[in-house]
Amino acid sequence: MRISLPRAMTLCLPLCLVLVHGCARDVTEVGGRKVVRVWHVWGGTMAEGFTRICDEYQRQHPEILLRPVFAANDLATNQKFFTAVAAHKPPEVIFVDGPQVAPWAEWGALSPLTELCQEAGIGRDDYFDPCWRQTVYRDQVWALTFCADPNFGFVWSKQAFAEAGLDPERPPQTIEELDRYADLLTRHEGSEIVRIGLIPWSQYGAANSMFTWGWAFGGDFYDYDKDLVTADDPGVVRALEWMASYADKYGADKVAGLERGFGAAEQNPFITGKVAMMCLHIGGIADLARYAPDLDYGVTFIPAPPDGEQRSSWVGGWCMGLPAAAANRREAWEFVRWLCADDEGTALVGEQTGLFPGYKASPYLEKVRHKKHYDKFLRILQECRHQRPVMPIQARYMRELGRAVDAAVYAETTPKSAVAKSALDKARRATQDELDIILGDRGGTP
Amino acid sequence: MTHSQPDPRRRRLWLGLAFCSPVIVGLCIFTLYPVLASLGYSFTRYSVMRPPQWIGAANYQHLLRDELFFKSLANTAYYAALAVPLGIVVALGLAFLLNLKVRGQALYRTFFFVPTIVPLVASSVLWIWLFNPQNGAINALLRPVLSAWGLEPPGWFASPDWSKPAIVLWSLWGVGGSMVIFLAALQDVPAELYEAAQVDGARTWHRIRHITLPFISPQILFVLIMGLIGAFQFFTPAYVMTGGTGGPVDSTLFYSLYLFNVAFADFKMGYACALAWILFLLILCCTALIFKTSARHVYYAGEERG
Repeated sequence: MRISLPRAMTLCLPLCLVLVHGCARDVTEVGGRKVVRVWHVWGGTMAEGFTRICDEYQRQHPEILLRPVFAANDLATNQKFFTAVAAHKPPEVIFVDGPQVAPWAEWGALSPLTELCQEAGIGRDDYFDPCWRQTVYRDQVWALTFCADPNFGFVWSKQAFAEAGLDPERPPQTIEELDRYADLLTRHEGSEIVRIGLIPWSQYGAANSMFTWGWAFGGDFYDYDKDLVTADDPGVVRALEWMASYADKYGADKVAGLERGFGAAEQNPFITGKVAMMCLHIGGIADLARYAPDLDYGVTFIPAPPDGEQRSSWVGGWCMGLPAAAANRREAWEFVRWLCADDEGTALVGEQTGLFPGYKASPYLEKVRHKKHYDKFLRILQECRHQRPVMPIQARYMRELGRAVDAAVYAETTPKSAVAKSALDKARRATQDELDIILGDRGGTP
Repeated sequence: MTHSQPDPRRRRLWLGLAFCSPVIVGLCIFTLYPVLASLGYSFTRYSVMRPPQWIGAANYQHLLRDELFFKSLANTAYYAALAVPLGIVVALGLAFLLNLKVRGQALYRTFFFVPTIVPLVASSVLWIWLFNPQNGAINALLRPVLSAWGLEPPGWFASPDWSKPAIVLWSLWGVGGSMVIFLAALQDVPAELYEAAQVDGARTWHRIRHITLPFISPQILFVLIMGLIGAFQFFTPAYVMTGGTGGPVDSTLFYSLYLFNVAFADFKMGYACALAWILFLLILCCTALIFKTSARHVYYAGEERG
């Protein structure tokens, strides 16, 4: 039998359409149960904990179908998420990093939760201040804090202290002491450094280091009243000058060489003894307990200069939001509320992940009040004053800060600290220019 | 009664087009449309999630004030200027060696080609370790040699001065592809020419200079152009080896890496499209320039020469 060409093409067309349509098919209801897809960021042992949390919620809510899907929050996966939003096929719930809340809100990837919060009676007072602040942008609530990471605990190795002739029970209190201890703790073999006291610019990346020390030195990064980037604030400049002084002392290339040998898990430089003092993220306690149960260390507040901010810290951590144009909004919100603003849910999150809820009334916080190391982190959280600037180009700001730190640490001048001010001024200008474009676009409309 | 028969040539044309239609439709939807759309978007501010906003040539004007644009361009030019010629010389050298009639020839050829088929990301991760300043194999070899002169081995990716040379060295890892092309070309050079030259008393160097190189010059041109295009688009290893930062101090911020960050970290798609079009124009100009200037140096056997 001969099929004419037009007929063959007419037959093919519907088939193609069906196939293409299948690509964008999404199921929001299965057998009368509303589907709640959660794109989460948890891998490794955290994933096991998060799965148990989801299982518990599913058990309590048989009327919905909870579908947790791992979707790392990185450039590649975020593209996938944004494409899904642009195509109006997003997941029902998305995990968003604290500093990403404002940019994602600005881009239109999230939908506001203000009314839902009001209905549920959730407000500012329920959260640690910085936790709430990081989720509010342009007078709307865009996410709820899932975990509040007190950044950072300052940890010191008691063994290294004893070896260097220092009192293992007395961590440095001031920057002056910190410098002196760092010198005593640093050891060379030939021309190579085999152990370093502290690498100021290497506390979870250059930008996070800049935030950490910038605030400790009494600086600030953003003026919310005037929408001004203040990267060249005198306190921040002093902090970077101090950071660069370590590059002068120990050699940027030498330290970078040492750092290239750092690894994760049991290769963590604090465990292998290559670093004697560092800032530790709360998730690090579990890692240290798992990979080096015998390691003797202490946790305390970050040292600060006398004219700086004492007991300084800032909050990091993951938030949960509802993507713009997501389906099953009620069901999705109920899941978010349970994990972020409910006694039972937040307690389970704490127990299963070891992370602190940002929700102040969580019974979990009472539980860790007397738990070794966690008690210190809890105090840091309770006194925490800062969160990274809530502004629409956070990633750009952090990249520019990182660039400024790099420029100072690798400066060819002597001392390197001489370039700190100009490097931070450059970061400020670059970020402000970009910010002005966005603020200008908005042109006064809310 | 007469049937009006359709013109058979016309019918064949339609049939041919119908058979090609998957490719034609695919090219139009997945290549032509995105290319044209990117040109359009380059005149807009566009974050994907909101509709694009026409801003005229503002993106192109911004390029002129963008320090990182020039920095990334300079890094890319540095890489292209070093890696492409070096790659050709090394590939050519290997091809000459592997063209010698020795025992285990096939084994050697395989041996030198294998790195080319290792996935880019895997080889990048491998080289991060080889280049490790303290524990890496390269510095372990260099250290005793250099210490004799009181020198220290370089910091490679830990140093803004050595990170680009390290990536250029890494690029030699992938010369296997060009090597195979040269090897094939070498085997096409007529043996009688060598014999004639030998009878005339030409030395090895003269034979290479006046017979081999002219004969394989089209392949050299091909490798040069493909290498240059690849160098301009250089991305994966820089992304993997620096974690996407282009550090230290932007020393490995190559053009494509910067473009990627603008597009997918800042979601400034309009500006990224403008960057992409500038890259396209640069590659186009360079390729045209090479074609134009190479005409005198490249020999095509089938071509009439005046």
